[in-house]
Amino acid sequence: MDIIDVKNLTKRYPGRTAVSDISFRVAPGEIVGFLGPNGAGKTTTMRILSGFLPATGGDVNIGGRDVSKQSLEIRRHIGYLPESCPLYPEMRVSEYLGYRARLKGLPRGRRKERIRTVLEMCGLLDVRRRVIGHLSKGYRQRVGLADALVHDPELLILDEPTIGLDPNQIREIRNLIRDLSGKHTILLSTHILPEVEAICERVLILDKGKIVASDTPENLAGIVSGSIRVVAEIKGLQSEIINTVKALPGVNNVSDRLEGAWVKLEVSGKLGTDLRQNIFQTVVENKWTLRELRTISTTLEDVFGALTSGDNRSRG
Amino acid sequence: MFVQLTLWRREMAAYFLSPIAYVSSIFFLLITGFNFYLVVGLFYSKEYTIPDVMEQLLSSPLFFWPTFLLIVPVLTMRTFAEEKHSGTIETLMTAPVTERAVVLSKFMAALAMFLCLWLPTSAYPFLLEVFSEEVAPLDIWPVASGYLGVLLLGMFYLSVGVLCSALTGSQVVAAIATYAMMGILFFGGLVHTYVAADLIREISLYISSFEHQQKFVRGIVDSRPIVFYASGTVLVLFATIRLLEGRRG
Repeated sequence: MDIIDVKNLTKRYPGRTAVSDISFRVAPGEIVGFLGPNGAGKTTTMRILSGFLPATGGDVNIGGRDVSKQSLEIRRHIGYLPESCPLYPEMRVSEYLGYRARLKGLPRGRRKERIRTVLEMCGLLDVRRRVIGHLSKGYRQRVGLADALVHDPELLILDEPTIGLDPNQIREIRNLIRDLSGKHTILLSTHILPEVEAICERVLILDKGKIVASDTPENLAGIVSGSIRVVAEIKGLQSEIINTVKALPGVNNVSDRLEGAWVKLEVSGKLGTDLRQNIFQTVVENKWTLRELRTISTTLEDVFGALTSGDNRSRG
Repeated sequence: MFVQLTLWRREMAAYFLSPIAYVSSIFFLLITGFNFYLVVGLFYSKEYTIPDVMEQLLSSPLFFWPTFLLIVPVLTMRTFAEEKHSGTIETLMTAPVTERAVVLSKFMAALAMFLCLWLPTSAYPFLLEVFSEEVAPLDIWPVASGYLGVLLLGMFYLSVGVLCSALTGSQVVAAIATYAMMGILFFGGLVHTYVAADLIREISLYISSFEHQQKFVRGIVDSRPIVFYASGTVLVLFATIRLLEGRRG
């Protein structure tokens, strides 16, 4: 059974539709990334899932329960990290986590050990006695994450968990999220593309309140370019190389450039064919020399640009 | 119940971890102490007994009401407005807690602070008894009913303050709104002295906190103001809970 099942979810604010008629499912154990430009409806959707905001229309089921009817029960099983990671600045880290653990109904016997575990997981042991207001942004973000984790929820909803962090901190948080992936279902939002490629198994791209794409990062990249591209550097007779490669099955187009004695080819071919194997065999048969053979991956950045800027060339 | 206690403790901690508790209690003690000094200095004599002094301190328009009205928004303005402003309302309301538990714990914490502030003033009649040459034994009941009045007034006005705080994300706006609401309630209760029209007079008298407190402090425990303040508090707190629930839908 899907842990998240959203059907025709709509959220209207006065004079503005933030989310319009979106549907998606998340299976247990998945890491799903919500991607979209600012104002696409990511935060609104997550707030509805976490039970903070009511939906205008549609059904949201989490773990088989209706969010609008059994919100309290659902909230016991969700760990939610809001966008700006709000905390009580005057409290100490362990004090705050203790308060949150009690609030989330963690039994007294498990509390201490569980707080210790999340402190360790989030790298907060050294700062556990510090006042939250005196911590750096990175540590505060980790306190927020520790809070989301403290009751060991099945589902984690993380709204922009790496926003405002430096590259090292981003990597740490990413690793932490990846470590969590085995035990928890994770829905995270971001507008940082490499993050999604690095962590998520599936990406939902939102734009103007609608889901414009939903697939694995790799497949999405394929959809946009509509082809795969391979770079090969071969030593040999230029015209001969070009003609032979052009004749290979599945090749659509070849462009070339001379780099000294080497011919640098950029070959594009049909989706689903592996051009590299054919190229390699041709090179061997003709006794040319090969020094580079690789596919150029279309990044999510291309996908994102294509899908959210109103450019329709590769949709559908 | 356990969750409510957890929330209440967090609210109390919030008072004492921020300067609010200390600043307000210092000023409150200064003002009530100064009032005490003035009242004793001005009025105390053979004819003017300890209950009379307490009557001044717990009901006079000069020595009681300004202090009382000043302190209410100070205690309530942050309850919801601060959480909304800093965004912690989102972590709070997405935890498995009911709106009722949140509202009641915030209200109970404000009330507890309010009572803590008034507590030292209850030493005044005993101080007077020890240090004055009054021979008649201290009649404790008017003093007790006077404090019952303070408790009832406090409950009602604090609940209004909590509601105002839940309406806005700004503590300043919450405080101003609370002053406005309290102003309407308090001065609405004074209108009866100027108006002859029967209905308005009746209503004004019925809601007149000033009149109620004057009676309480003289030892007259009437059930009508008790019902008025208890039901008013319940109603306002209920409205606050509904207001929060409405956001969740």
